[in-house]
Amino acid sequence: MAFPVEEKQGFSVVMLDGEVDLNRSPDARKVILTCLKKMKHVMVDLSAVEYIDSSGVASLVEGFQYARSNNLEFGLIGVSESAMSVLRLARLDQVFRIYVSLDERLAHGS
Amino acid sequence: MEETVAEHRVRPSDLPAPPKDAIRIVQACSKRGVDSRDLARIVTNDPVLTAELLRVANSAFFGLVSQVKSVARAVTVLGNRALRNMVLCISMRDALRKDAIPGFNIDAYWEDALRRAVSARSLAELAGLDADECFTAGLLQDFGLLVMLYVHPQQIDHWDALSCANPEQRRDLEVELFHTTHDEVGLTLATSWDLPSDLALAMGYHHDGPPEDADRQDVVLCKVAACADWMAAVYRCVDKRVAIQRSRDMLKEYFDASPEQTDYLLQKITASVAEAATAMGMRVGEQLPFDEVLREANLRLAEDNMSYQELTWRLEQTLAERDRLADELQRELDLAREVQKSLLPGCDVRIPGVFGINLSAKAVSGDFYDFYELPDNRIAFCLADVSGKGMNAALLMAKSASLFRCLGKGIHDPGKLLNMLNREIAETSIYGMFVTMVAGVFDRNSGTVTLSSAGHLPALHMGPAALIGEYPAAAPPLGIDPDSQFPNASFDLQGGCLYLYTDGLLEARIGEQRLEEEGLLRLLKEHGHLALEARARAIVDAVLDPAGTLEDDLTLVIIDGGKQHGLR
Repeated sequence: MAFPVEEKQGFSVVMLDGEVDLNRSPDARKVILTCLKKMKHVMVDLSAVEYIDSSGVASLVEGFQYARSNNLEFGLIGVSESAMSVLRLARLDQVFRIYVSLDERLAHGS
Repeated sequence: MEETVAEHRVRPSDLPAPPKDAIRIVQACSKRGVDSRDLARIVTNDPVLTAELLRVANSAFFGLVSQVKSVARAVTVLGNRALRNMVLCISMRDALRKDAIPGFNIDAYWEDALRRAVSARSLAELAGLDADECFTAGLLQDFGLLVMLYVHPQQIDHWDALSCANPEQRRDLEVELFHTTHDEVGLTLATSWDLPSDLALAMGYHHDGPPEDADRQDVVLCKVAACADWMAAVYRCVDKRVAIQRSRDMLKEYFDASPEQTDYLLQKITASVAEAATAMGMRVGEQLPFDEVLREANLRLAEDNMSYQELTWRLEQTLAERDRLADELQRELDLAREVQKSLLPGCDVRIPGVFGINLSAKAVSGDFYDFYELPDNRIAFCLADVSGKGMNAALLMAKSASLFRCLGKGIHDPGKLLNMLNREIAETSIYGMFVTMVAGVFDRNSGTVTLSSAGHLPALHMGPAALIGEYPAAAPPLGIDPDSQFPNASFDLQGGCLYLYTDGLLEARIGEQRLEEEGLLRLLKEHGHLALEARARAIVDAVLDPAGTLEDDLTLVIIDGGKQHGLR
């Protein structure tokens, strides 16, 4: 798969990177949904994302919605400045759970 | 009611009860320096297992040099490791009763498992591993599938599809049916039952490869199991040619075996399955000889090697069919485009103080805008962008546009209107699809605008020469969270203009450069002197390349509070 996944502390951490655009969003979507369909809690690491367009955002929204209706946790960690500005502009920072890192999420407890 | 994924999960509590006595023996066998007399004593505690163990140990398949008549003798002759493996094979075979899964004959599963077991055993020499160890791993590696069927007996109808799929297809099908895979469930079971770690690794990692810190021997055992999976598939799956080729490739890569060597091992499977079945007391159907398998595979190959003329003829037919379908699709798209156009204000609709323009990159568009007059000299307006491209976005656009027009005539508060739209769209929308929208009301008497933005790009308020203010989104897009709230912003246009646009405009290129907000502001200033319609067209023309092609849908709406239109 184009984007790696690491199993850490009960979460599947999906590592997105580079440009998450119309070409690569289908891969991002597939990786995220595959983890969720295995009933894994998912954190998407956006620290290496240089650019994300609306199709990339749509993949994240889809993961968020799938997780919510299956009682799974879905969050974003290490969101890069460029990804954050896109999320803020669309006020999606009000929707997603966003953490500095997986450690910060773990410090919150379950 | 639709089933949720949560109902599919295999939890440790769903697993069948572990064969506790057998596992105690297995664990005792694994202890260093265990006394063979102690071991024999533990085994004889279970008379059924004892009888079965002696029968299996004396079978031709396991081929002991001399017959063993007592457990004590069996322990000495076999050694701890072989004893452990034999006990495991017997107890796992009996872990699920024959009628444990209603409507399913468990023998069908074990026949498949035996093929993997004898395949794995045949690789022992190449792999430098113990033959019985390989046999046991092969027998148990897909046990997770049986457990999934046990936990979800309603999926039994798919057994035929599962049994004739190759290992990769089968795993995909498992994800679809069970939302997990046999290797994952196998690992859960092996952990929960405390099975020996080498076998647990083979059960859990024969598809994805073992973790990096695994023992070298365990890594080889995983490779053996991976090869055994494809070798057994040669006799089971529909496209035998693929399975044969894959077996040859894997044996070459892992054990440097020649294609002839692989074929020889494949050929031996038929006879070995029958022998192993007798030894293990399992019932198997008639086994297809390898010659027959090869004939089937070659038949497919022959189909692929059709004559050139036939290929050309088929190609022509296919192309003609493709053209016919393309024409049909184009007609459908034209109709869809017509319907979409009818949802936007028509060209003949001229309302002083507002103008909109929409260009779509594809036949159908995910962008839309609308405006209409309200009582008291007010105008309701909106501009929106549906996530995604193509027909699904177009359909959601049609729904959103209709809702705006229908509900907006009764609800004149933009925030409340977005609230209603959001609930409607969130209730029925497909995951991952959402709508960013600015909705507002322009009061031509007072020159004020009230607007609310759901995740959309900032609305720009321009004076004659400069930007007066920006109105970014105060709430997320429509269709994501039914509980989102949409605050209003109200302001005086001060004789200036309000510009609403979709990202297609910001991302359009002038030369190599994307327009972005900076470029848009420049264009707005440059063309600010033009009349409303001419200004909108000039801005759009500036970003269209000479061929008029677009990367993304592009929409622009201008609300003009200028006195020159005699609006106040």
